[in-house]
Amino acid sequence: MPDPIFLVLSAVVVVSAIAALEARELIYGAVGLAFSLIGVAGIFLLLGEEYLAMFQIAVYVGAVVVLIMFTIMLVRRDSGRPAEEEEPGRLGRAGAFVAGLIALAIAAAMYLVIPYSAEMPILSEISLHDLGRTLASGYALALVILGLLIGATAVGALTLAKIEPEEERGGAA
Amino acid sequence: MNGLIAIPTLQELLNYIVGILTSRTFLEMIIFPGFLNIMLGAAFLVWLERKLIARVQLRIGPLYAGMWGILQPVADGVKLLFKEMIFPELADKKVLILGALALMMLAVAPVVPIPFGEGFVIADMNIGLLYVFAVISLFPTVILLIGWGSNSKYSLLGGLRSMFQQVAYEVPMWLSVLGIVMLTGTLNLTEIVKAQQKVWFIVPEVLGFAVFFTAILAELERIPFDLPEAETELVMGWMTELSGVAFMVGFLAMYTKVYVMSALMTALFLGGWSGPSVIPQPVWFLAKTFLVASVMVIIRGTFPRVRVDILLKAAWGRLLLLALANVFVTAGLIWLGLGGIWKV
Amino acid sequence: MAFDVWSLVVIFEFLAFLVTFPLLVFGWLMGAKGRNAIRDGPFESGQPRMGEARQRYMMQYYPYLIMFVAFDIISMFLFTWGLAFSVLPFTDNLLFIVFLIVLVAPLGYALHLSGRRELW
Repeated sequence: MPDPIFLVLSAVVVVSAIAALEARELIYGAVGLAFSLIGVAGIFLLLGEEYLAMFQIAVYVGAVVVLIMFTIMLVRRDSGRPAEEEEPGRLGRAGAFVAGLIALAIAAAMYLVIPYSAEMPILSEISLHDLGRTLASGYALALVILGLLIGATAVGALTLAKIEPEEERGGAA
Repeated sequence: MNGLIAIPTLQELLNYIVGILTSRTFLEMIIFPGFLNIMLGAAFLVWLERKLIARVQLRIGPLYAGMWGILQPVADGVKLLFKEMIFPELADKKVLILGALALMMLAVAPVVPIPFGEGFVIADMNIGLLYVFAVISLFPTVILLIGWGSNSKYSLLGGLRSMFQQVAYEVPMWLSVLGIVMLTGTLNLTEIVKAQQKVWFIVPEVLGFAVFFTAILAELERIPFDLPEAETELVMGWMTELSGVAFMVGFLAMYTKVYVMSALMTALFLGGWSGPSVIPQPVWFLAKTFLVASVMVIIRGTFPRVRVDILLKAAWGRLLLLALANVFVTAGLIWLGLGGIWKV
Repeated sequence: MAFDVWSLVVIFEFLAFLVTFPLLVFGWLMGAKGRNAIRDGPFESGQPRMGEARQRYMMQYYPYLIMFVAFDIISMFLFTWGLAFSVLPFTDNLLFIVFLIVLVAPLGYALHLSGRRELW
């Protein structure tokens, strides 16, 4: 018997995601995304990973969702009119059907292969101290590369996003 | 496989609920340091702010509602309770009301791991500090929602400014506390308070305290960082279109934040509940908290407002570098072997 | 009964909801109702409404937002480092400190970009 809390959290994640996709206003989509990510953080908590859950909330809901909302707010749209909906064509429906079949196949395979236990596994009882030590000593290089990659990505995003100033008199293109 | 879902029987559920209601933790949640504490503290802060500001400005402040005007917040609350909640035609009512609700719930949340005395903590969390920061990082989302839902130029602009401001000052806030984490090796707020029994953290972390205090002022949108509010320009900024009870909830949430953040600052830098034991520990904690809050109030009456581009540039350019400098200073302290005083 | 820390958080938040929601409902029911054109417009200090509300503001500070996402993630990792600082060997700590110093470069670039409004 799976943990009822886990089922509730999974429902929150999936239902919010669906609501985010189906919402008429883009902002509601961002809100749905936020709830979905908070649900994921809850599942991390169930697994005993408190640090990861806080990391998830602070980074995803605190930064990524804010970025998405900012972008949504700056997209100019005629106020009041919801986006028009198109009927999905034959290709769309066939694609959805195939995607559903694949999802079912994966679920069935997992159910048959992975031993099913109703207990929520506590993955590890790593204390925060040990986590810090392992991360900083064993994986230090990976961490630094990761950080530098993030910094480089940010610089790249900014370079791509800015408008090139118009060329004035003289000056090569 | 027995059944798909284990629905607890009604008996189990009732037992659980009764267990919660009769436990000491629940009493702590409601009375101290929980809701009664927060509500009274926030209301008291409303009065304190108006009285202190008045004194700074050579006025008298609230006078007629109760002795020294102490019941003024109550009067304001009752008035707002019966006012009409006017929403503009184009605004999204659901978003505004639920946004106000979310503001209050988020403002109250950081109190959970803060220890108001030895044993007076709602939940002793091992990642208490990180939990507080995670909750604080949720505020820009709600503010953006309310600003956008108002569908008014001024509210939206106020919401965007507020988001940029809060987001800019969050990073220096985290980095300024990193020094404390390095010295104690724990994120547990009770442990952090206990580590300050000999020397408070404000002594080695002077720079960190300065950065943290400034960042908190910006997070709380208080002068000199109240550009999102900017009473003479944006009315109430992103809270402009909240009226009636929704405004009361938002207003109360603002002062609840001040109270909770002052409490956090006391726990982190001012030794929490430490003090000569003639006075009980929670009283020490509250005294220090209100001292911090009073300093914030007096700053409000003293400084002019900071312009938005200077505000953001200062956060990212200067304050962040100061916080980093604090980290280096603390690292130096530990390498010199002086970190033993605060060893938990 | 001993409670798991996180269920306490959930219960506490639920209590916050129980306290605040009736206030909102009460205000919704108790407030006077009156709709007319003036009351329904957004508040612009008495002036009639001008201009579209949702426009392209503050794009100039977009670099700060991007840098925030980057620094948010990096700060979380820095917390793990800070926790283990006192027991780590000197070279590992030095690596992190150098890393922090190197991060100032993209930060400076973002600061530079946000100062120039014509780029956005």
